[in-house]
Amino acid sequence: MLIELSGVSKIYNQGRANEVRALSDIDLTVEQGCMVCLKGPSGSGKSTLLAIIGCIFPPTSGRAAIAERQLARLPDRFLTLHRRETIGFIFQRFNILPELTVLENITLPLLPLGVPPKERRQRAQELLKRFGITHRAQFPAGQISGGELQRVAIARALINNQPIILADEPTAHLDTGLSREFMAIMLQLKEAGKTIVIASHDPLVFEHPAIDRTVTIKDGRIHVP
Amino acid sequence: MFLNPWSLALSLCSLVVLVLGAVAAKTAVRVLRFWEPGSDSNRQIRLENEIWLSSTLVAYGLGFQIITLILFVLAADEFCQVIVGAMCATGALLANPYGMPALLVKLFGVFFYGFWILLHQLDIRSEHYPLVRIKYLALLLLLPMLVLDASLQTLYIAGIKPDIITSCCAVVFGESTGGGTNLITGYSQQGLLIAFIASIAVLMIVGGRLLQRWHAWLAGLYAAGWLWFFVLSLVVITTVISSYVYAMPYHKCPFCILKPEYHYFGFGLYGALIPAAFFGASVPLAGLVRGRGGLGGVVDRYQRLAVRLSLVLLVIFSGLSFYHYLKYLISGGEG
Amino acid sequence: MAQSNLEKQLNILDYALSSLWRHRLKSLSVLLVFAAVIFLLASFQMVTQALSDKAKQVLTHTPEITLQKMSAGRQEAIPLAYRDKLAGIFGIRRVVPRIWGYYFDEVRLANSTVMGMAVDEMPEGNRLDAALAKGAMPGPDEQGRVVVGHSITKALDLAGRTTFSLFRPDLSLKPFEVSGEFSRDTDILTNDLIVMNLADARDLFSIPAGLVTDLCVYVANPKEIDTIAKKISETLPSVRVLTRPQIQKTYQVVFGWRSGFGSICLLSALAAFVILAWDKASGLSPEERREIAILKVLGWETSDILAVRFWESVIVSGLACLVGMTAAYIHVVYCAAALFRPVLMGWSVLRPDLHLLPRMAVGDILLIFAFTVIPYLAATVIPAWRSATVPADSALGG
Repeated sequence: MLIELSGVSKIYNQGRANEVRALSDIDLTVEQGCMVCLKGPSGSGKSTLLAIIGCIFPPTSGRAAIAERQLARLPDRFLTLHRRETIGFIFQRFNILPELTVLENITLPLLPLGVPPKERRQRAQELLKRFGITHRAQFPAGQISGGELQRVAIARALINNQPIILADEPTAHLDTGLSREFMAIMLQLKEAGKTIVIASHDPLVFEHPAIDRTVTIKDGRIHVP
Repeated sequence: MFLNPWSLALSLCSLVVLVLGAVAAKTAVRVLRFWEPGSDSNRQIRLENEIWLSSTLVAYGLGFQIITLILFVLAADEFCQVIVGAMCATGALLANPYGMPALLVKLFGVFFYGFWILLHQLDIRSEHYPLVRIKYLALLLLLPMLVLDASLQTLYIAGIKPDIITSCCAVVFGESTGGGTNLITGYSQQGLLIAFIASIAVLMIVGGRLLQRWHAWLAGLYAAGWLWFFVLSLVVITTVISSYVYAMPYHKCPFCILKPEYHYFGFGLYGALIPAAFFGASVPLAGLVRGRGGLGGVVDRYQRLAVRLSLVLLVIFSGLSFYHYLKYLISGGEG
Repeated sequence: MAQSNLEKQLNILDYALSSLWRHRLKSLSVLLVFAAVIFLLASFQMVTQALSDKAKQVLTHTPEITLQKMSAGRQEAIPLAYRDKLAGIFGIRRVVPRIWGYYFDEVRLANSTVMGMAVDEMPEGNRLDAALAKGAMPGPDEQGRVVVGHSITKALDLAGRTTFSLFRPDLSLKPFEVSGEFSRDTDILTNDLIVMNLADARDLFSIPAGLVTDLCVYVANPKEIDTIAKKISETLPSVRVLTRPQIQKTYQVVFGWRSGFGSICLLSALAAFVILAWDKASGLSPEERREIAILKVLGWETSDILAVRFWESVIVSGLACLVGMTAAYIHVVYCAAALFRPVLMGWSVLRPDLHLLPRMAVGDILLIFAFTVIPYLAATVIPAWRSATVPADSALGG
């Protein structure tokens, strides 16, 4: 079991006037090689859930084990160390740094790992080749097309060969063609053995045949229809 | 004598370090009061961030401390030009009773910062942060030390009055005078050298044994040996090694070797000795926290690394120490 | 592990460089202002240091002890007979009489230093022969022969000629013949100097026989200077005894004080810069926040971001030091500290055509470093930490 959450809650600003209960009592397990979609309107708590699965912050209570490691009570530093080994992130709007080149963007996760420049370039070249954007390697990321940007973002999530891929509203700003292309790539990755969790309320995503399971979040709880 | 660029630079650095130290101490107080492991409250998140602030401040403090230590010695060397009778830093430092204590506190500060950084590095290796309390209690000691450092330095600078007659290094360490000002007397050079060489040999053997098979008592012995060796080395540098560097039998001064005239030889010598003594002495200190949550493996690795590093630095230090001596012997006294 | 740690620092350094380049306008403005502050401080330090070096150089040529007769608090001629009274003091190598004065040339409005001395009586090593570019020192019996410094040659317009005349106090002319010239290396000492033998100088200034302006005492062992000076002042209570170390230390104090005073003035410039640096470092734009949050999600630790900021500060201050110190060196050596000239002229030994050559030892660099880089690093550390603690989750959503 790669992702195992039981009774997970997240409360922001606990004990204060602006206390917000973002997640309550979430139970969720995802096996290796599965593709799961977290569905729900914005503000439903699916981004918070994604952040907990992504080891960005620990849950307030409950047990969360990602790649066989308990997140509760883990200090920020160890969440980060665990995150960079296990989680590949694809952000909403892809969050590419526009002034860096495509190659530099893709290799960003490798810098704090102490991977030497030559190996970095080599690993990035493989991914660029796989996604057919080798010719863009030295372009500033701000100057490439939306489709290429999407592939750069995916390449960056794969660069450290992490077993889990998380995507936060990846298709929110894409046209239908690019959204379809995105899901096609996800399908390839799933077939290659990656575990994928996508937070989205786009029917193109959650109705995609590659999705094994759709989990609906509503008001911070898993909604069972 | 504050209106002198060296005094000003030293005072400025002290001021900067005091401000940084005060910020670090504030962090320490907050961590000691409010630390709640495992909580995800905003305060705990902020405190976890403040750990990085304090560790960065201490790391900067270490860097600044090393620079001010060198600056202090060089400043003393500069001051000797205005103090009648002082011919090098030794005389200038002895011009009033605060010079030597200030220097020793500064040297101690380097070790203190070093040990704190070691504690911090060990602490953040375990996800329980088991040393948080010890670490921040120790950090609280930093502020009084910095205040002491700054006060001694200020008193020293204030006490330097041009035209005070002081002893120059030829008097202080020389054998020609029998006066009470002689800092280091009564040791024969031969005896010192034998003790020095014997200590090097013992440290090498103990270090080698430790790397083969680890015993806690042997590690303690190793560290004690390093403390002894550190003091002994300072004496030997002053009374024996320095005069071979200067090629003058009566010039015995531990500071002049830092000058460009002697190719900054002293920087190499102290640059090997001080870290070597630090690593050597830190071995059992790291061992003290071995029992704390999840630190066993980390401490073991560090201890082996520290022994290895101290042995390598010891070899470098011995090589540098004997370089001028051997050159002198081989060239038949013309070196 | 140490290997990958080093690689990691190299990678972070690489990233810091590219980050500086991406914000080149901001980095460059900080760099330039910082370099200007360092330039001012370093120039000042170098000028005073070079001047004090020059003074020291001048003083090595002076006798160990100089005796002057004081009357009513003012200097007056000292009888040659005092030499005999000193004969009993053990340790004195030689006592050489000297006439030392200034000659004002009313025609050319130039002041020159006249030294009348039995040159051959000076002990080895203190002689000025070595400083001669050409010719020879006047012998004791050679009347009217002089050795002159460079500015005298120029002022008297001696090209080709070797003779000139100076006025005695009663306005009669005394002719001289140039028998040698000092080399330019000793300009600081000899630029305006006219050396002649004692009898000529006495004649020129109309000093009665048996009197000179001062007596130069050379001692056998420099370590005994103080003891001998004490004995002399006990033997001759009315005489002012000046020892070389004393003069040297007085100079040092004055120069130290001067450069300290200058540093205090320049510290205000430094303070202004530190405030600027703090301000620049703490203003975190939304783009920078976003960048840091992205990096953190991608697995950068807080300490990694701090390391980026640290390297940025080190690169900026290192470059600023390099630029500022190089500019200061050029300013002092090639432009003769043109910027500080109005301040330094008048209260120093600085002459208009003085060539300054500061020595830059590790200590001097460290001093400037302590004045500039340490406050800068300290001013940027807290803003750097603030930026490094941007939470990772701010890169999510929206």
